[in-house]
Amino acid sequence: MITTEQKKFEEIEQMTKGYNRLLVLGCETCSAMSFAGGQRQVSELAVALRIARKTAAQEGEVLEDAIARQCEPEFVDLVMDIVADCDAVLSLACGAGVQMLAERFPDKIILPGCNTMFLGVTEEFGVWSERCAGCGSCTLDKTGGLCPIARCSKRLFNGPCGGSQNGKCEINPDIACVWQLIYDRLKGLNQLEKLQEILPIKDWSNSFHGGTRKIVREDLKL
Amino acid sequence: MTGSKPNTKDEYPPCKLACPISTDVREYVQLIAERRFEDALHAIRKQNPLPRVCGRICIHPCETACKRGDIDEPIAITALKRFAADGPWKETVKQTPEKALSGYKVAVIGSGPAGLAAAHDIALLGHSVTIFEKLPVGGGMMAVGIPAYRLPRDVLASEIKAIEDLGVELKTSAAFGEDVTLDGLRAEGYQAFFLATGLHLSRGLNVEGEDLPGTLKGVEFLRDVALGKPIAVGKRVIVIGGGNVAVDVARTALRVGAEDVLIVCLEKREEMPASDFEIEEAREEGITILNCFGPKRFLGKNGKFSGIEFKFCTCLFDEKGAFCPRYDKTQLKVIESDTAIIAIGQAAGLSFANKEGISVTARGGLEADPVTLQTPVENVFAGGDVFHGPRTVTDAIATGKRAAAAIDCYLKGKPLPVGDSTETPERAKLAPAVIEKTRKFSRCSFSLAPTDQRIKGFGEVTSALSEELATKEALRCLHCYLGARIDREKCVSCLTCVRVCPLGVPTTSKMGEIAIDPFACQACGMCALECPVQAINISLHTRGKIAQDIEDAVAKSQHPKSQYPGPLIVGFFDLHGNFSYSDVQDLGRDYPNILPVMVFGLRRIDTSDILKAFQYGADGAFLAGCPSDVDPFPEAREKTKQRATHAKAVLQAVGLDEERLEIFDMPNHGLVKKEKIVELIQRIGTMAQARSE
Repeated sequence: MITTEQKKFEEIEQMTKGYNRLLVLGCETCSAMSFAGGQRQVSELAVALRIARKTAAQEGEVLEDAIARQCEPEFVDLVMDIVADCDAVLSLACGAGVQMLAERFPDKIILPGCNTMFLGVTEEFGVWSERCAGCGSCTLDKTGGLCPIARCSKRLFNGPCGGSQNGKCEINPDIACVWQLIYDRLKGLNQLEKLQEILPIKDWSNSFHGGTRKIVREDLKL
Repeated sequence: MTGSKPNTKDEYPPCKLACPISTDVREYVQLIAERRFEDALHAIRKQNPLPRVCGRICIHPCETACKRGDIDEPIAITALKRFAADGPWKETVKQTPEKALSGYKVAVIGSGPAGLAAAHDIALLGHSVTIFEKLPVGGGMMAVGIPAYRLPRDVLASEIKAIEDLGVELKTSAAFGEDVTLDGLRAEGYQAFFLATGLHLSRGLNVEGEDLPGTLKGVEFLRDVALGKPIAVGKRVIVIGGGNVAVDVARTALRVGAEDVLIVCLEKREEMPASDFEIEEAREEGITILNCFGPKRFLGKNGKFSGIEFKFCTCLFDEKGAFCPRYDKTQLKVIESDTAIIAIGQAAGLSFANKEGISVTARGGLEADPVTLQTPVENVFAGGDVFHGPRTVTDAIATGKRAAAAIDCYLKGKPLPVGDSTETPERAKLAPAVIEKTRKFSRCSFSLAPTDQRIKGFGEVTSALSEELATKEALRCLHCYLGARIDREKCVSCLTCVRVCPLGVPTTSKMGEIAIDPFACQACGMCALECPVQAINISLHTRGKIAQDIEDAVAKSQHPKSQYPGPLIVGFFDLHGNFSYSDVQDLGRDYPNILPVMVFGLRRIDTSDILKAFQYGADGAFLAGCPSDVDPFPEAREKTKQRATHAKAVLQAVGLDEERLEIFDMPNHGLVKKEKIVELIQRIGTMAQARSE
């Protein structure tokens, strides 16, 4: 899933100030699962904003709504009326959702209430961690199913650096050195010889280096 | 609403499913837990015309079915009903007929539980009712069968009075077929009749010598004792029979002069039809029981009863399960005694039937349709023991209520009710893992007077629950079927419910379809609160209700500040705390600026709920948790603290001092310590004032 994190309240309060009729719009998939932008967090943030506005004697109203995914135009269009009725929309989706709103509502102020973090997994309730960098050319078959791009602090592709100490990364002793993990896993799988393979040059053109990415499926297009 | 209606009984809690009158037990138990005792009695009264009686002598199939019974011990439902029905608030909980008098007149024959229940419901439906009772007292078997030590007469009298207060007339010493007849009543304008004359005769044994002087019949013996007639029992008494009547007879004999009472029955101990707890109470009182023996002949000396020769019963039922005792006649036993009382069964006195043209079945009861209770005479209905044979008070009430509904239809020319023919589903079982994870709490039920005091007279043997124990007991209820329901439209399979449930109830399929077993769920509310898309609804204290309670609490306080000076503080209290109704009253009186919101567990309070209190205008808030030893979900306490900490951070961020919010545990007794309140009012008051200046 795409993980998001709600921005600090002070930042949100600052950016929404002056927009009297404000819609807090939740996104009920990834952002909800990140406990940053689902209905529950929409309500909490809306109440907080109301109190803050009340104490600052600011006029206006804080409205609440949510849609299944802000990255889909059909869902976004379902809130057209309420969006038309407010001065600004505070989106609690990832950056993709915020931009989809901006595209669909060209005349409306759209503000981001969350920071988009990473593609990750739920380690346990309330703990998420990064697993995928979306490089566009997956090589997990070569590295025992562990991604050095997403999980090495230096994004090294050719083994651990000198900062790998006792299996931990020099950046933070709580972070495991992914190259140590790769080694241990391949050893367990009896595939250590994979590390001796000479890897071809990685095709980075599918990543940022190739410009803004887009997938066009001629077999699917309507 | 016809066709593919779902089986409504599928989601009846086991207590309601087991009750002959489908009492919504869960509702009043919850109201007791909320310290809303008067509301609890209202809830009982609208379903049951004899709550004080049932709170004493109901054999409580609800308790046998109770889900708590799978975990430790069932909820003491009978004791809770008595607590609710007996309290001082009973004086104000009255029912009034909903409709103006219809002009129809109904005669009820017999004032036992069936007759009283029918009269009660018919009166509430707006018809005139007169009850004709053969005996000099009202109440039927409740007055002359069930001994006063189990059902005090003043309690019964108050129940009859409450029914008379609905406009029902009770005429005693009016024997049907003699003093009153159907023709006579018809001439007086009665348009419908309900016959519930009971089973007031004893069955005989058909054994040599059973009529010797010194032998008595159980039903007649109990009636004579109840009516204060002179009774002669010797020091040694043998009671024949293994049912509840036999036990009542034995315990009554002990109270009218017998010293050595022996119950002899054909059944093995575990086969005896009498309730286990009654057998146990009888044993405690010194009554002995001899199982597997039946009278061969009654012995006499000088023309008087002197003992019984018994034969050993080898087997009670035949291959088909029909009652067919077989004996080993070589195993005989003679027991000498002064008095024998035969209590092996009851029969109906139906001398009126022939005269009045009423049909009688082969089994010696009144013939009526099992659903509508209509007899072959179209305006005559029948119910109670005389229709269904010897059963419980609640079974009799059930027929009375059904007959009332049928008579109402009959009078109005509508088709008679067809009854609820939905199949009764099997009671679900709890998974062992859920049983293991559920916190155990011991049961608080009736306490029994010491046996030496009990057998001295007819004083009530059980005593009622105190408010403290009743509340504690009601809080053991597991809220069957009031738990989590998933809104499939909203659910995004995030697995939060699976992760946070303290009992491990929610499960997921490979495709992320979440299932929550509604029977296993105990409505703790954790999943409903945590769900990030709010896709889980819970019936017990819904999220919406909590929000509304907060708004109402603050709205109610919009008083002129001069009247109640000081800050407004919303106090979230856990209903599991050890506090009483008067503690709540006292708080409201002494500190009207503390606005209580009561919840089943602080785990139901989210950060946004706390913030809402401030949004609605509170100056401060606190969360008062129950002591941890009474918390059914102690694992959730940390979560509550996390939410409060988070709420403090948000308060600080929105410009309010985090000190305006506090979380603490309630004291071991009471709602909150006085010093604590004074300190909170002082602190929050200063902050609020500083701000307004």
